[in-house]
Amino acid sequence: MALLTLVRDLLQTPAVATALWIGSIVAVVSGCAGVFTVVRGQSFAGHALGDVGSTGAAAAYLTAVQPLYGFLGIGLLGGLAIDRLGNRARERDVATGIVLSLTMGLSALLLFLITEQTSATGGPLSILFGSIFTVAPAVTLPVELFSLLALGLLAVLYRPLVFASLSPETARARGVRVGLVGTLFMVALVIAVEESSLVAGALLSTALLIGPAAAAVNWTRQIGHTLALSAFLGVAAVVLGIVLSYESYFWPPLHRGWPVSFFIVMLVLVEYIASRLWRRRREATA
Amino acid sequence: MTRGRAYLIAGLVALLVIAAAALVFATGSPAAKPAAQQKTLVVLGAENEYANVLAQVGGRYVRAIGIMSNPSTDPHTYEASTTNAREVAQASLVVQNGLGYDSFMQKLEANAPSTRRIILTVASIVGAPPSTENPHLWYRPSTMPAVAQSVAKALSQLEPQHKSYFARRAAAFDRSLGPWRQALAKLRQDFHGAKVVVTEPVADYLLQAAGLDVATPWSFQAAVMNGQDPSPQDVSTVDSLISTRQAKVLVYNLQAVEPTTESLLAIAKAHQVPVVGVNETMPAGFDYQHWMLAETQALTAAIGQHKSEVHLK
Repeated sequence: MALLTLVRDLLQTPAVATALWIGSIVAVVSGCAGVFTVVRGQSFAGHALGDVGSTGAAAAYLTAVQPLYGFLGIGLLGGLAIDRLGNRARERDVATGIVLSLTMGLSALLLFLITEQTSATGGPLSILFGSIFTVAPAVTLPVELFSLLALGLLAVLYRPLVFASLSPETARARGVRVGLVGTLFMVALVIAVEESSLVAGALLSTALLIGPAAAAVNWTRQIGHTLALSAFLGVAAVVLGIVLSYESYFWPPLHRGWPVSFFIVMLVLVEYIASRLWRRRREATA
Repeated sequence: MTRGRAYLIAGLVALLVIAAAALVFATGSPAAKPAAQQKTLVVLGAENEYANVLAQVGGRYVRAIGIMSNPSTDPHTYEASTTNAREVAQASLVVQNGLGYDSFMQKLEANAPSTRRIILTVASIVGAPPSTENPHLWYRPSTMPAVAQSVAKALSQLEPQHKSYFARRAAAFDRSLGPWRQALAKLRQDFHGAKVVVTEPVADYLLQAAGLDVATPWSFQAAVMNGQDPSPQDVSTVDSLISTRQAKVLVYNLQAVEPTTESLLAIAKAHQVPVVGVNETMPAGFDYQHWMLAETQALTAAIGQHKSEVHLK
């Protein structure tokens, strides 16, 4: 019965209901894009995109635009720059590093100007560590649309993307346009990362992208199953994280509530460790 | 291909530099300060309301500078600049709030040691212990008269020949607070115990002095003040105080704006609860006593006649 009361409380608090809905959508997109990110070895680019997007979010705060558009706009620019600059795997990390440091430099300036010029008190903190409970209801529709776009891209690209990710040389020889596939995937990746920056913050968006995907890779063998499990693990971490954050209102320091991003990251870690242990046992018995 | 890539990198760098430069120029740089004159003392208020009292007490013998003087920024997150460091180095008298509100002052003072400089901390003048939760001491009606007395004493120490001048001006300042005190007493008499919702504790001392009941949970106020997200439970509590119109007025801190506080503004508008905007830093065109009077009058008009006044006139 206590559980029923809790669920009713959660859904009747508008901020929490919105958070649960947006958080779940974002977790699905991140979980799916994350599997390809892990398989393609693009974890660093995935992390960098979150930081790159924070520059856009800071600019958005300064100009009173919705932070989501700042995250997405600069994230897309940065993502395409990373994609263009680094064609081979070895160049890719360098290109990512260059784009990352350039935009972070700009970000330092913008975050300073926020404290200096505006009254957006919590700007830097919510950009870097997320603030899912204060996401404006007006953001719900754009998040839904962009998520559909990202999932649509992944669905359309599915076969060539799997092929190009697992063995790019063979794929190229068979006539798959590996470069184009990579660029389009980058668009989906940018959407996934920037949306999860809104939930968990620019610094922690990687956790939602890589964590559930890496755990799912340990648990499954078929890529279809991996995608489904990764999305499920992501949603589980986000929903449970939000519920725990809501409950932490009654923990010390009383009535302050712990940040959602802390719980999400901890839950993702638990999922990943469990998958590693499971895999070790399986390998030991095999 | 490599050349194309080089152009791309160069283009990207140029773009970022231009964007950065444009922003810096767009936000504007302050006009150059005139060199300090020989005869006047440079006195510094960490916040411009203290600078204003310094100027009123010091009169023609001081040049008062306020460090936090932009009413559109949040002092809690302010970072000092090099100009501020120079001003602190020149100052013979500094008035700062304390209680962690302007901790950047301690760094600036440590970087420019001086044996001549007198530092007055308002928290110690009014005897507020370090555990005081609400640092906005200048909203307490008894604070500024005490500050004016201490300032007069410190200035007399620096320039003993003008001692009676400073004492006279401090007394005149105290008298000029009369209309504000009367407005507060009237508010207390007419609307004692009326519930108000605040976004942030900035004006709490004034509201309490006027006998109003600040209904917002402290954890909500503290979260907004510290730039954190208030918990969903607290947000629901505050939302319902406004939407059920239990609160007679929403007191809105114009210098701590967040998605949460903006949504309170929308709820107040939807349920016809009047809104009064308050500042942390003295707005342009006001001196301390008229600023406090204007906010008190705005509150009275909001509770009595349902009039909103987001920006002081």
